[in-house]
Amino acid sequence: MKTLRRLARDRALVTGMVIVSLLVLAAIFATPLSNFPGHVTGFDPAFRLKPPGEVFWLGTDRMGADLYSRLLFGARLTILISISATAVAVLIGVPMGLVAGYFDRWYSDLLMRVSDVFLAVPQIVLAIAIAQTLGPAIQNVILALSATYWPFWARIVYAETRSLRNEVFIEAAIAMGASPLRVMVLHVLPSIASSIIVRTTIGMGATILAAASLGFLGLGAPPPTPEWGRMIAESREFLPQAWWYATAPGIAILLVVMGFNLLGDGLRDAIDPRIRRGS
Amino acid sequence: MSQSFGSFGRRGVLAGGTALSLFGASAEAAGRTRYITANNNPYDILDPHQVFDIGRIAIRLNMYDALVRWVDNPPKLEMWLAEKVDISADGLVYTFTLRPGVKFHDGSPLTADDVVYSMERILGIKKGAYGLFADVVKPGTTKAVDPRTVRFTLNKPFAVFQAVLSELWVVNSKVVKAQEKNGDWGAEWLTRNEAGSGGYRLRRFDPAIGFQAERFEGHFMPFGKGAVDDADFRVSMETATRVLGMIKGEFTTTDGYMPAEQVQRMKESGNVWFKEAESIRTFYFIMNHAKAPMNDVNLRRAISCMFDYEGFNNNILGGTVVRNPGIIPNPMWGAPKDLKGYSYDIDKAKWYLSQVKEKLRTIQIGAMAGYPQSEQAAQMLQAGAAKAGLDIKVVAEPYTTIAPKLDDPERAHDLIPLWRSAYFADPHNWTGFLFNSRNFKSGNASFYKNPRVDELTDQALVITDQEKRRPLYEEVSRILVEDAVGLFVNNTKFYGPYAKSVKSVRFCPIGDTQDLRWIEMNT
Amino acid sequence: MRLLALALRRFLWMPPTLLGLTLIVFSVSHIIPADPARVLAGENAPVEQVEALRRKYGLDKPLPEQFVRYVTDVVGGNMGQSLYTQRQVASDLVERLPATFELALFAITLAVLVGLPLGVVSALYRNTWLDHAVRLVTIAGLAMAAFWLAILLQLLFSMQWNLTPVQGRIDGWGPDPITGFYTVDALIRGDFATLATSLRYLFLPMITLAIPAMATIVRFTRAGVLNVMNSNFVFYQAAMGLPRRVVIWKYILRAALIGTLTQIGLVFGNLLAGAVVVETVFSWPGLGTYAYNSILQSDYNAIMGFTLFTGAVFIGMNLLVDIAQAVLDPRSR
Repeated sequence: MKTLRRLARDRALVTGMVIVSLLVLAAIFATPLSNFPGHVTGFDPAFRLKPPGEVFWLGTDRMGADLYSRLLFGARLTILISISATAVAVLIGVPMGLVAGYFDRWYSDLLMRVSDVFLAVPQIVLAIAIAQTLGPAIQNVILALSATYWPFWARIVYAETRSLRNEVFIEAAIAMGASPLRVMVLHVLPSIASSIIVRTTIGMGATILAAASLGFLGLGAPPPTPEWGRMIAESREFLPQAWWYATAPGIAILLVVMGFNLLGDGLRDAIDPRIRRGS
Repeated sequence: MSQSFGSFGRRGVLAGGTALSLFGASAEAAGRTRYITANNNPYDILDPHQVFDIGRIAIRLNMYDALVRWVDNPPKLEMWLAEKVDISADGLVYTFTLRPGVKFHDGSPLTADDVVYSMERILGIKKGAYGLFADVVKPGTTKAVDPRTVRFTLNKPFAVFQAVLSELWVVNSKVVKAQEKNGDWGAEWLTRNEAGSGGYRLRRFDPAIGFQAERFEGHFMPFGKGAVDDADFRVSMETATRVLGMIKGEFTTTDGYMPAEQVQRMKESGNVWFKEAESIRTFYFIMNHAKAPMNDVNLRRAISCMFDYEGFNNNILGGTVVRNPGIIPNPMWGAPKDLKGYSYDIDKAKWYLSQVKEKLRTIQIGAMAGYPQSEQAAQMLQAGAAKAGLDIKVVAEPYTTIAPKLDDPERAHDLIPLWRSAYFADPHNWTGFLFNSRNFKSGNASFYKNPRVDELTDQALVITDQEKRRPLYEEVSRILVEDAVGLFVNNTKFYGPYAKSVKSVRFCPIGDTQDLRWIEMNT
Repeated sequence: MRLLALALRRFLWMPPTLLGLTLIVFSVSHIIPADPARVLAGENAPVEQVEALRRKYGLDKPLPEQFVRYVTDVVGGNMGQSLYTQRQVASDLVERLPATFELALFAITLAVLVGLPLGVVSALYRNTWLDHAVRLVTIAGLAMAAFWLAILLQLLFSMQWNLTPVQGRIDGWGPDPITGFYTVDALIRGDFATLATSLRYLFLPMITLAIPAMATIVRFTRAGVLNVMNSNFVFYQAAMGLPRRVVIWKYILRAALIGTLTQIGLVFGNLLAGAVVVETVFSWPGLGTYAYNSILQSDYNAIMGFTLFTGAVFIGMNLLVDIAQAVLDPRSR
């Protein structure tokens, strides 16, 4: 109860939570909320590039589709990409970090060196190369992002597992004859879960930014997918007249990434009061 | 400019640049005319034999000459380096007599040996316009009879041979040979240097910026009054930058294919005037006939009725294009004037769909990423198809990914919206090249095979008389529409923006107005 | 001695890491549907022409053989020829380097000059409106898509107010390179007009790159200062009766800033990553646009060359950061 009250007092955390919930709501209720649900794929060329007004709240795009409706459906895509990409990255990174950290064998070092290799080049560069190779599609964006972001989880889990390795409760479990798998899953994992959750929340924000960049560079989902980064790229040809075209999706990205970052920061503060003093 | 010609090494080019800044100051005093083009493609390779595209055509048109040259609209082929040509009765031997007294930029005379070397170089480096010649000219068959006479011997008749010779840019063989490295035909050197005879001479080059050239007074064709003295071609990728540069007077001209809104904005500024012309550049969807159900003519007809031509041409593109019912551009001879194409009609599309015998599946459009019109056309067709009950999926890929798949009917997309530009102005460019079954894997990316079309287009390549060829191409055009071989959308209109300092331009669909020698400036 | 061992160990890891990187990028770029020979041959080129080019560039060889050949060449100092520009990748990179470094240096300078004071102030006035404002700005700065910020700045500064150019690096032709840094070259020549022009062009891409970097620096600084302020050592000093100002300037700031400065290497590495997107939006003729274009063209050698180069810079920066940290803060050894 006390924790909850403390959480509620943390403005950053609450703001983050509100933004993320709004995103989720927008994604779930995109159809009833939108003015022109048909404009995910449809449009009306007669209303091309109209400024924001009563009918088209956020204006229309180069085909004559309602930007507000497309923005809502874009939220769905954003959630889909960021959840899947981080999930895959977690599924690769966490086991790797656990194994490398728990056992002190030759392959521990090797696994960590492999993750170093992936970290030796800017993530976005590698992601661009992979996305271009696989071809522009949502599932490839997800793949490119998870293939480049997993080392972050591997490193954090590795470091935490290492420091837990000599804790009394772990040694006790081993002494009682628990198998390594059991120790890892039942004892180590719960103790480091909070770090993983924090890292994942912040990772969601990073993934959304990276996915939008790929979309912007033309390596994301094809038209007419209402992907936010792609919408901004489309607008460039019509600047400065169609100022509204890039504005709305840009603000949407900003808010959502901010939401996840605030949520991540807030969770970290709540979970680990030691760091709280510092941030 | 006391710099010796021909020594255009990297250092040489820079030295030229330094000289320019001194020169530039005095140049304005001397009232030299300056012409700055902002291009939306990089000018990164100067070698006229390595590239064969519209984006970099200014390099070839201005610094190099060919035996013949295209002018005006509709394009006419004029003798250029050549004075006259004799064609043997069997259409196999072409003997060109060169103009007397033509000089390269280094002052040395241009001879038949240079023409021969240039042809061998194209066949040797196998890039750029190689595909135009590979079928009919074999290495070693081109001969210099005497310094002013060059003879081509074809291995089969090819009626458009003269037309494609406009891409045989003649390089200074002595200079290029001296730069050859392990049999590379001097490719590395010529990528960044120039060895031509054209109306303009390279002064400075930076692949990230563009190139500068000055008028070559020694050119065989005299320049008119108000001709451009100093030319500056720069890359500027962003549409907004080019538009702003035109409005502010920083650029003299830029590309003539902008969205309607941007054209309007430049007009309103009062600083820009426009040259309008119907070009010869058709926009259409390639259909892949090799994969069922696209081999079913009724499906192709159905698809042709699902595209909102009006909405696309007039609303999305703001009327900057003209409906083109067939593949040959309207202004080109060989395009039937009374050709009736398909129109947007969902009921008709549904009826055609009901006649399809093959099993239907999701059809895939491969739009060209980075080309908004290609993507928008894909969306347009997808929306129409949805109304008629046909499922279409769009993927957008860069041309670099689409192109390799064109060789393989299994991997190629069902539909690809793109342009067919004019590299040479002959109906063959749009018909035989694209739809003769002999050209599978090179030009015929539709994998369309129709014996009658093969016969007509083959026949038209053997006859040289244009009036006899015309009915053949008109028949081909009709068959292509009847068979709904592709989805033919529009022909491009050119809206060339010019600063007020430009008095007149001469438009030709091959290179638009980038052939600077026809420009007249106010002095 | 332990410091030396650490440096040596990290240094020795560099070649295998780079080799691993080469392997990854090689696999990514070669196992693909794209076909550089086809791209190179151009539109509608006959198959025979494509085959000839494939042979010429050794693209017809088995992949392992191509890989071994590439690595041997690189070790021998030859990064190969770019398929697209027809030049040695190494000389392409060297030619593009000054543009990117000039931009990155300007951006990091701006980020430090603004970020450090903001971070300190924010910590000293913790939980006041000032602190909240700074935190809001940093949080937004880290959440903003660089390409969107770039477009927003172009829209306002260039198109609406007409203050800066939309894109590019200089009006037409830059000065002949001495260092390749236009601003430095202009200063050496005393050409203030060119200096002013290149600064105008630098302005927007610099800000776009600097904002996330600045946000990071503010966060580090703020955290560092707060850490020192909360340490017993500072309580002790304050208890000794030293005036607050002296404590702040002499102890808190020094300790906090040293900690932050060591992070700048990492921030600089991230700037290079950001440059790929930012340079593309501003058509800045640097390594970023080169990398992006090479990827689009499937220009294998150029992609590999760029990745190896950035990899080396990245690892080098990390190494420097670790050493700096070890020197400045003996506890972290």
